[in-house]
Amino acid sequence: MFEKMKRERKHDVIVVGGGPAGLSTAYFLADKGYNIIVLERGSEPGSKNVFGGRIYSYPLDKYFPEWRKDAPIERWVRREALSILCKDSIVNLGYEINRRLDGYDSFTAFLSRFLKWLALKVEEKNVIVATNVRVDEILFRDGVAYGVRIGEDKLEAEYIVIAEGANTLLLEKHGLRAKTSPRDIAVGIKEVIRLGREKINERFSLRDEEGLAQFLISPVFGGGFIYTMKEYVSMGVIYKPLFNNQVEARDVIEELRIHPHISKLLGDGIPIEYSAHIIREAGYRDLMHKPYGRSYIVVGDAAGLILNTGFTVRGVDLAIESGRLAAEAIEKTPPGEEPTLYMKLLQEKGITTTLKKFRKVSTILSNQRIYREYPEIICQIFEKMYTVDEFPETLNESLKKVVGGKTSIIRLIFQLLNMVRNL
Amino acid sequence: MKKKSVEERLALTKFEVYSEPHIILQKKKCKVCNSRICISSCPAGLFTLDESGEITFTYEGCLECGTCRIVCPQNAIEWNYPHGGFGVQYKFG
Repeated sequence: MFEKMKRERKHDVIVVGGGPAGLSTAYFLADKGYNIIVLERGSEPGSKNVFGGRIYSYPLDKYFPEWRKDAPIERWVRREALSILCKDSIVNLGYEINRRLDGYDSFTAFLSRFLKWLALKVEEKNVIVATNVRVDEILFRDGVAYGVRIGEDKLEAEYIVIAEGANTLLLEKHGLRAKTSPRDIAVGIKEVIRLGREKINERFSLRDEEGLAQFLISPVFGGGFIYTMKEYVSMGVIYKPLFNNQVEARDVIEELRIHPHISKLLGDGIPIEYSAHIIREAGYRDLMHKPYGRSYIVVGDAAGLILNTGFTVRGVDLAIESGRLAAEAIEKTPPGEEPTLYMKLLQEKGITTTLKKFRKVSTILSNQRIYREYPEIICQIFEKMYTVDEFPETLNESLKKVVGGKTSIIRLIFQLLNMVRNL
Repeated sequence: MKKKSVEERLALTKFEVYSEPHIILQKKKCKVCNSRICISSCPAGLFTLDESGEITFTYEGCLECGTCRIVCPQNAIEWNYPHGGFGVQYKFG
């Protein structure tokens, strides 16, 4: 198919990468009358993509009419939980909302399936989504992007959209981004487990359409997550390669699986897919100062458009929004010139300002203490609070005992205050 | 609760293995490296030490996560994606 397309006509825009950002950019450009080809290295859209499990729905409500009828929505998130997993105990903070959240809802999903749906929406607008195509190089002439190289072949267009995702190989190759630092990434390591609708509903106290999104903090594996799907559960670990890790990445998800609390919930489930991908974690610092150049524009994760606020993680919604703004900037910028409007729009729509607002979160989350010391302290405090024996302690006495061994109370309070102030 | 090995977990995921590796180690650089962070941070466990203490790598079970290239302190990893259509095939993602 690709050979045929290449001969038949010249495209106005080449989109490199058929993920959330690339497909969205194509979707919005198609409405503006461009001839577009999306080049995806996977054998079908979504076959190379990994994420945690949740999508915020506001951009879909705005730009995809009727999407709720046919998009592969697993469950609407109605329960949120933040859990500290210690060796044989768990401390939970939960939030549940029992009504529809029109306009600011989120749902659990499988990214591969979601992208297949998104690709269909894009193809309905006569965009070509060419799969099995790996782009090896962006072609520049006098600083102006004019095409891509695919093996021995060249494909030319007036505009190139770079939507290569978190692993910024092309941008780094062309010196448009510095080499990604190991400090600035984590590895999301995930397993999809088939558990069945009934068991999921019972064990997570959910009704059929309701879902749970759970963040986990553990002294053993660091950060983690659980998302409930209709029949499946996605569980994962956020592994930081530079931490002083007790367990290697290859086995870290087993630490989650064998935790007594998790094994009660998921132990009889059947694992069906193991996956992993890097996550860009540096937030605002990682945002490209200039996610564009003459005849090219960078969207989604590749540009650094991913936001971790400490309690929510947003990627797909920012990818869709950046695609929309990139399309607008392309429309209003003649080929060969820099689409400076793109950055202006990102600012105006509050995307870069939001990233800036949460810029200190990445520093907090890269502090090993959050995972190594605080969870133990909190679990022990709770254990003392709820343990009754002949010599009960006041909360203050327990606190002194628990904290004493690891750090001083004053230091702890100072650190916690500092953390909260920055979140 | 029994732990599963990484091999058991990789067997769950579908791969279309290409005839040539997409990731190549410059072993000269590995010889002088004492970090060995590639071994601990590959979620597929594809970096191992052989009997002579040399790092070896197999590409067949690569999840294409991108970690090894970024963490390698020697820039010893020539990293590319597999040929179009090949490599890992995520059904869920």
